[in-house]
Amino acid sequence: MVELHGVGYRAGGREILHDVSAWLEPGRFHVILGPNGAGKSTLLRIAAGLLRPSAGEVRYDGQPVRALAADALARTRAVLSQHITLPFPLPAEDVVMMGRYPHFGRAPGARDRVIVSEALALVGMTDRRAQSYPTLSGGEQQKIQMARVLAQIWNETRAGAPQSPRILFLDEPTSSLDVRYQLHLLDIARGLLAHDCTVVAVLHDLNMALHCGDDFLVLEDGRLALQANDPSAVDGALLERVFRVRAHRVSDPVSGDALWRFEL
Amino acid sequence: MLKRLTNLQVQLLLAVMLLASLVLSAGVGAFSFAPGRMLLYLGQGVHWLAPTASDALDRNVFLQLRVPRVLVAGLTGAILGVSGTLMQGLFRNPIVEPGLVGTSAGAALGASLVFVFGGTAVFAPTAALGSLLLPVVAFAGAFAATMVVYRVSASFGTVNVFTLLLAGIAVNAMCAAGTGYLSFIARDPQARNITFWSLGTFTTATWYGAAMIATVLVLGMFWTRRAGKALNALMLGEEEAAALGVDPRKLVMQLLVVNTLMVAVATAMVGVIAFVGLVVPHLLRLLKSSDYTFLIPASALLGALLMEVVDVVARLVVAPAELPVGIITALVGAPIFLAILLRQQRPAGSGL
Repeated sequence: MVELHGVGYRAGGREILHDVSAWLEPGRFHVILGPNGAGKSTLLRIAAGLLRPSAGEVRYDGQPVRALAADALARTRAVLSQHITLPFPLPAEDVVMMGRYPHFGRAPGARDRVIVSEALALVGMTDRRAQSYPTLSGGEQQKIQMARVLAQIWNETRAGAPQSPRILFLDEPTSSLDVRYQLHLLDIARGLLAHDCTVVAVLHDLNMALHCGDDFLVLEDGRLALQANDPSAVDGALLERVFRVRAHRVSDPVSGDALWRFEL
Repeated sequence: MLKRLTNLQVQLLLAVMLLASLVLSAGVGAFSFAPGRMLLYLGQGVHWLAPTASDALDRNVFLQLRVPRVLVAGLTGAILGVSGTLMQGLFRNPIVEPGLVGTSAGAALGASLVFVFGGTAVFAPTAALGSLLLPVVAFAGAFAATMVVYRVSASFGTVNVFTLLLAGIAVNAMCAAGTGYLSFIARDPQARNITFWSLGTFTTATWYGAAMIATVLVLGMFWTRRAGKALNALMLGEEEAAALGVDPRKLVMQLLVVNTLMVAVATAMVGVIAFVGLVVPHLLRLLKSSDYTFLIPASALLGALLMEVVDVVARLVVAPAELPVGIITALVGAPIFLAILLRQQRPAGSGL
């Protein structure tokens, strides 16, 4: 369980986040929604322990995040952001192996190699493992990065042993990808939920976010306007107010779920 | 061809070639020595064998001039190679090296200060430092110069190539002006030799110099033994590296200090030798891999190897005179620098 207690963040005299409290639970897909500049990425980075809040605190299973050692934290949570380029060429599998860096000292062990192979298989990139990362397409590169963060928080818990928390943070991971890669990536992330992983994502496509999320955190000017565990709570009035657009609800002809059409 | 070998095999191959280059470098020059002679003199040098009176001159030339020179050249090459690798990792850019970002020039300024004012009242309060005065002041100069370049080039968030190069030019020019002035007013023959500071030479190599450079190289390699993984992670970006448990600020500080220490001491002993730190990691990336766990040790080996070859060439091309080694490294390195710069600037958005 990730707890945010009264989290605030100030930078350059501007208040970016104000008194945000939220609970992020294992086995659920949390989506952070909000317009540009609402503080979504800042909230995600604070929740991931990458940024220190100016007020309040973040706890993982009751432990304050800032009390955790950097490598222990790195074995607990992984962060995937949008499109990552490398200044030098490396084979794709070496990039995935970086996810295992917090787990080994000088050289990777046999277990680390197995996990890298399994992570590559999970994202469907086994046949590209030896290819140089810069020569992959943008979508393939993002799949390799996904394999890297999966390898970082790979479930190694032996049967019967207590489950350690594992959290995956996604910061607009699909923003440069075409629709097939988007669906595939989110599908892989949802697959982690069955293994009691907590998933927290900033997503831009509202319909996709409402479709694949379980929990919704809506940010408006650095304040939490809504935390709900039901997409129907994200209603037209809220969307119109927060995003300052007109929102029309239509029905998905297949599932009957809400779909939103926006105009100025 | 090297791609088929494992990282360890490539390092072993480099080590064997380095050993051969050491023997070659110890053998050729105004005095030449056969390998058997070398072993004899070395044995006599450590008093395992009784000295023979007839070849005292040869032995002294070999033990007091040639061996220190070969060691200083190799150790300096190793330092410049490792330094280039560490800096390129830190700046996430293949065009960085100690000669470009002001480290060498700052060290030269510090060292020439000691040569000119070392015996005077200016340094009287530091007399307790004794033989450490030279490396300490060279380090201070190198660190100040490198920090200025780093701060200026990183002042707008990410490191920008053009800002980096321009800041490097400015800081190098300032340091060169200072060194030039000190050479101008100097009485010490070594400080007076402006060529020494701008182009580097191994003719002044001593056992003291070799010991100093060896000490900082060993310290540097020890402190950076875990840096390979961290620099690999840093390739992803500072935030991604932080998410993998690396503290980027700590890493930058640690590597800047280690790197500056190594380069400062080497430069204080042999002058500024540019482009070695640029070429060595570039060659290793082309031939084998960009993995820093491989690059750091391999660049020490290849740096030493190249420097021995360059020193042999410097001794042979205009024999019995000698070229300053910096002329050869610049002649070979500068075109490679231009080639890397061109290739790097071609794709849009890869300016970092």
